[in-house]
Amino acid sequence: MWPVSEQPKVSREMVDDVLSAYPEKAKKMRAKHIVVKDEGCTTCAIKSNSKSIPGVMTARGCAYAGSKGVVFGPVKDMIHISHGPVGCGYYSWSTRRNLATGERGVDNFVPFQFTSDFTENDIVYGGDKKLETLIREIKELFPKVKGISIQSECPVGLIGDDIESVARKMSKEFDMPVVPVRCEGFRGISQSLGHHIANDAIRDHMIGKVERKDVGPYDIALIGDYNIGGDAWASKKILEEMGLNVTNIWTGDGTAEMLQTAHQVKMNLIHCYRSMNYICKHLEEEYGIPWMEFNFFGPSKIEESILAIAERFDEKIMKNARAVIAKYKPEMEKVVEQYRPRLEGKKVMLYVGGLRPRHIIGAYEDLGMEVIGTGYEFAHKDDYERTIPEMGNATVIYDDVTAYEFEEFVKRLKPDLIGSGIKEKYVFEKMAVPFRQMHSWDYSGPYHGYDGFPIFARDMDMAINSPTWALSKAPWKKSAKEV
Amino acid sequence: MSIESACCNNSCDNNTISEWIKSDEYKEKNFSREALTINPAKACQPLGAMLCALGIEGCLPFVHGSQGCAAYFRNNLSRHLREPVPTVSDSMTEDAAVFGGQANMIDGLKNAHALYHPAMMAVFTTCMAEVIGDDLKAFITNARSQGAIPEDFPIAFAHTPSFVGSHITGWDNMFKGLLQSLADPRHGKWTNGRLYIVPGFDAYPANLREYRRLVNAMGIPVTILPDASEPMDAPHTGEYELYPGGTPMSELADALNASGFIFMQKYSTLNSFKFVKNVQKINTEVVTMPIGIKNTDNFLMALTEMTGKAIPAELERERGRAVDAATDAHQYIHGRRFALFGDPDLLLGVTGFLLEMGGIPVHIVCTNGNAKFQKEMQALLATSPFGTEGKVYIGKDLWHLHSLLMTEPVDMLIGDSHGKYLAKDAGIPLARVGFPLTDRVNLHRSPIVGYQGAINLISLIANTFIEELDRTCPDERFELLR
Amino acid sequence: MRQIAIYGKGGIGKSTTTQNTVSALAEMGKKVMIVGCDPKADSTRLILNAKAQATVMDLAREKGTVEDLELEDVLLTGYADIRCAESGGPEPGVGCAGRGVITAINFLEENGAYTPDLDYVFYDVLGDVVCGGFAMPIRENKAQEIYIVTSGEMMAMYAANNIAKGILKYATSGKVRLAGLICNSRKTDKEYELIDELAKRLGTQMIHFIPRDNQVQRAELRRQTVIEYSADHPQADEYRALAKKIDENKNLVIPTPLTVDELEELLLAYGILEDEETAAAKLA
Repeated sequence: MWPVSEQPKVSREMVDDVLSAYPEKAKKMRAKHIVVKDEGCTTCAIKSNSKSIPGVMTARGCAYAGSKGVVFGPVKDMIHISHGPVGCGYYSWSTRRNLATGERGVDNFVPFQFTSDFTENDIVYGGDKKLETLIREIKELFPKVKGISIQSECPVGLIGDDIESVARKMSKEFDMPVVPVRCEGFRGISQSLGHHIANDAIRDHMIGKVERKDVGPYDIALIGDYNIGGDAWASKKILEEMGLNVTNIWTGDGTAEMLQTAHQVKMNLIHCYRSMNYICKHLEEEYGIPWMEFNFFGPSKIEESILAIAERFDEKIMKNARAVIAKYKPEMEKVVEQYRPRLEGKKVMLYVGGLRPRHIIGAYEDLGMEVIGTGYEFAHKDDYERTIPEMGNATVIYDDVTAYEFEEFVKRLKPDLIGSGIKEKYVFEKMAVPFRQMHSWDYSGPYHGYDGFPIFARDMDMAINSPTWALSKAPWKKSAKEV
Repeated sequence: MSIESACCNNSCDNNTISEWIKSDEYKEKNFSREALTINPAKACQPLGAMLCALGIEGCLPFVHGSQGCAAYFRNNLSRHLREPVPTVSDSMTEDAAVFGGQANMIDGLKNAHALYHPAMMAVFTTCMAEVIGDDLKAFITNARSQGAIPEDFPIAFAHTPSFVGSHITGWDNMFKGLLQSLADPRHGKWTNGRLYIVPGFDAYPANLREYRRLVNAMGIPVTILPDASEPMDAPHTGEYELYPGGTPMSELADALNASGFIFMQKYSTLNSFKFVKNVQKINTEVVTMPIGIKNTDNFLMALTEMTGKAIPAELERERGRAVDAATDAHQYIHGRRFALFGDPDLLLGVTGFLLEMGGIPVHIVCTNGNAKFQKEMQALLATSPFGTEGKVYIGKDLWHLHSLLMTEPVDMLIGDSHGKYLAKDAGIPLARVGFPLTDRVNLHRSPIVGYQGAINLISLIANTFIEELDRTCPDERFELLR
Repeated sequence: MRQIAIYGKGGIGKSTTTQNTVSALAEMGKKVMIVGCDPKADSTRLILNAKAQATVMDLAREKGTVEDLELEDVLLTGYADIRCAESGGPEPGVGCAGRGVITAINFLEENGAYTPDLDYVFYDVLGDVVCGGFAMPIRENKAQEIYIVTSGEMMAMYAANNIAKGILKYATSGKVRLAGLICNSRKTDKEYELIDELAKRLGTQMIHFIPRDNQVQRAELRRQTVIEYSADHPQADEYRALAKKIDENKNLVIPTPLTVDELEELLLAYGILEDEETAAAKLA
């Protein structure tokens, strides 16, 4: 469309044009959250991790969503109490696709909703006594529960309940972790603080409390993989084929013991940096456990990551690593061969949560696709520092994008595919723009690892090349230029 | 078997517990819970308020409180409808918790108005704003006087604390808020000659359309208020419409001059009903949700009674087709035992339908039902020999229902998608009726009300049984005729 | 129906003043309801001649939900047909008493406690406005007239000024107005002049100066108002005077609260606060 050198300027003008609809104060604030990458990266200072402006459709959630929904929710043999009114637990009940093995109601509580279901009385008189009673009831009805977390909702913080003392008392009474988590939704400005609070709660109440007996030199933890659609299983498979022993997963298909014995592994591999870097840094400082980031989306990044991980171990692991790469190469080549011709040159815009806006770019590139816009709901500066170098020139990068901005950018940049969330999906599909939910994998998956890539490729192809898009306009309505 | 001795040192195996969970002993423990709620079949007020607000044309729902709540409500409704759900929030955070949310509201109204060009907004609250006691009316007045929105910009509001009632209460409060904020005062005895139909909390766009079709067929000028059928099921045209339709604001403004009101649900409209009937003194009726033949008959007769219009031959023939479907399929439903859960009004409708088909409602669990509902349901069960086994559980949750299914088995579960875990554990099919339906497509696009809805429910239930039989029967019993 | 809210610092004598004044109004033939908005629930006991009445929140807790309450459980009738309700709430340090006020008033409204025959509804509200819930009585369509009970003590005056600030916030968006200060005397120096001046600075009036008299305590020991206990006592006439003034009061204003500096200057001028030099000299 434009000469290459002109692109960044054109995009900035586009951004300014879109922002002109805002009232002055809001415009000023939003302008700092959107940048267009240029060669010298002179405009790359993007503002992030600050309050959403009131009155817009932000995709962001709250601290409770970050703690209960993201970090704690997948820990399957613990019971997570949504402490407060019924809604928070209801809306986050089985909606995040954290697959887990085990027997439902016996040692797997992931598809459950446990709540103190606050009524007016609990608000006025406080909920501490109710909390104590219900923890006893949990222990009685679910004898194999390995721990309890108390996920505070807004009112609990506002009325000043002392959940810490209830947790201490109950933890003693039942000799198991009862973890108070102060993740009230009004704290912080997005899910992000909830991740941090949850990390800290695990640090204070769980890590180091149990010693595993058989400890080996290749024991590692897989951190920040929530097993969406089986992602963690796909990742674990590769690591184990490399000869590593994945003893702990945080927190997809995870257990209380995996959190409690976190101090015993030799290395932490972190996928979602945003939600769990805190604990990696703590384990490094406190126990000297090294950590590294890796990326298991798409064969190029997988290969790069496998080698980088093996690099940190010995020759035996390196040898295995090369063998793993060689083993899957033909299969991956076949996938690329099958889908690349149909996807080559297609433009993608992303807007997701913690790591995917940068991590998944390589997988698209493996299929010959180009990411022309990306952004995060709740990233911090360090996420953008990791992202911007990955992006091509003229890419638009948007932080906490509002529904209005996103629609306008899409109308102007005309991507062939959008990857974002449920709130965005149907807006763009109504506009006949192919779309995949990239939080939930649109009820598909896994997308991680060698198991995931063929599914990822198939799904992207399916979205872009579905014949249903051709039905969009009634034939008698087609305008002259479209015919 | 005593689980305490088996499990005292955590040595019991999963099987022991798994069996124990199915036992009467466990059921007793489970039912003696006082504080713990497990898998409740209810959401909180603002979700209902949002659905209600979406039904006015050009209305942008506005959540005063935490932004995470707004995200949750939108996700939840979108997953059921597979539609976009526009709603803004004013993103109150820790400072607003201490100083009150007025500044957020003023900025929020200003930005939302400038950005999304709504014809009106409907403001409702999350529990955060309710605990600190924010005063919506005062805040909105201040927003106007500070110029954040034009003086005459229409805004309705409702306080919707999540710790009171459930999503149906929120629907009720928002509906009353719409009338109180935006309906013009009555012009004495003069009426606009329109019948107003109030659907209550109903996430089936097809139900709302069915109401309109039936009332139109009677030749009665009608307003569905609010009518979210378009926002809940907007056509694909290649263009995204932020406001795809709904009850025109003029018809909301004229609501209190209606010739009459019919409320299609009782328990999701308790306060609004009182307001319309007792305070505004409008000719007002409430009917049982018209699920099944008899409930639909009653609805149509209520229409006749209120308007004097006769039920036309075409509806009578439509009724005949539905009855034909019922008699054709009765053998697949007669004598089968059912467990049900969901909102009170839906349960009353579905139970009535089952009874007229000869189905046996056994467990009826209504997490958000009150004592009046329980009485009404018991009275309904008492009208039929098929109702004698039915027990009504109010304030109970799906884990209570789990125990009921394990100790007193039934043939089918009827409820929303959350029931799938129970159905799997009990080894019975789930007929998906209610809200939310997140694991099947398009169910909300077929009505479950009216005669057409009766046919749809008969098909759903009978075919599910037959499908189950085909899938599980031994080969020698696998037949072409069913 | 006139709805009136009485605010003031804790312990200043709000409840006693309210109940005595209301009794005097009832004596004049007015129909009055008192709604206690203080978790201590001592706003109606002198009218009911009882220890404390069952509160909306206490009964709601007992029965499970507010929905299960009946109006007659919580709305009692006492001396001179005065109707009494208490919102109730938690012990200090737990829960959220403010929300209790919202719940209770909503309940009374929805269940028809505000009958058209009432001439007055009085809200007796805890201390300073501490959270939104305690401002419930002055939301639109409720009390539009506020009296602040104060005394010549420094902290009582600080509190009065703070309450005026709270009223100002609501006054700009609605019809709520400050109707006057009631000085419940503590026999401090120049008390009359000081409160009179403070009232003027706030843009209002000192509607009445209630002298201190032990007869109030004597009556309270018998759980009665002075009006009921000793109708002929001069102190009863003080409350009658106040009641009459309130009944005739048309002086409703948007308050003009003082800055802290202004308030301290006022106290200095009346010798309540010593300037630093004087204070230092005393210490030396």
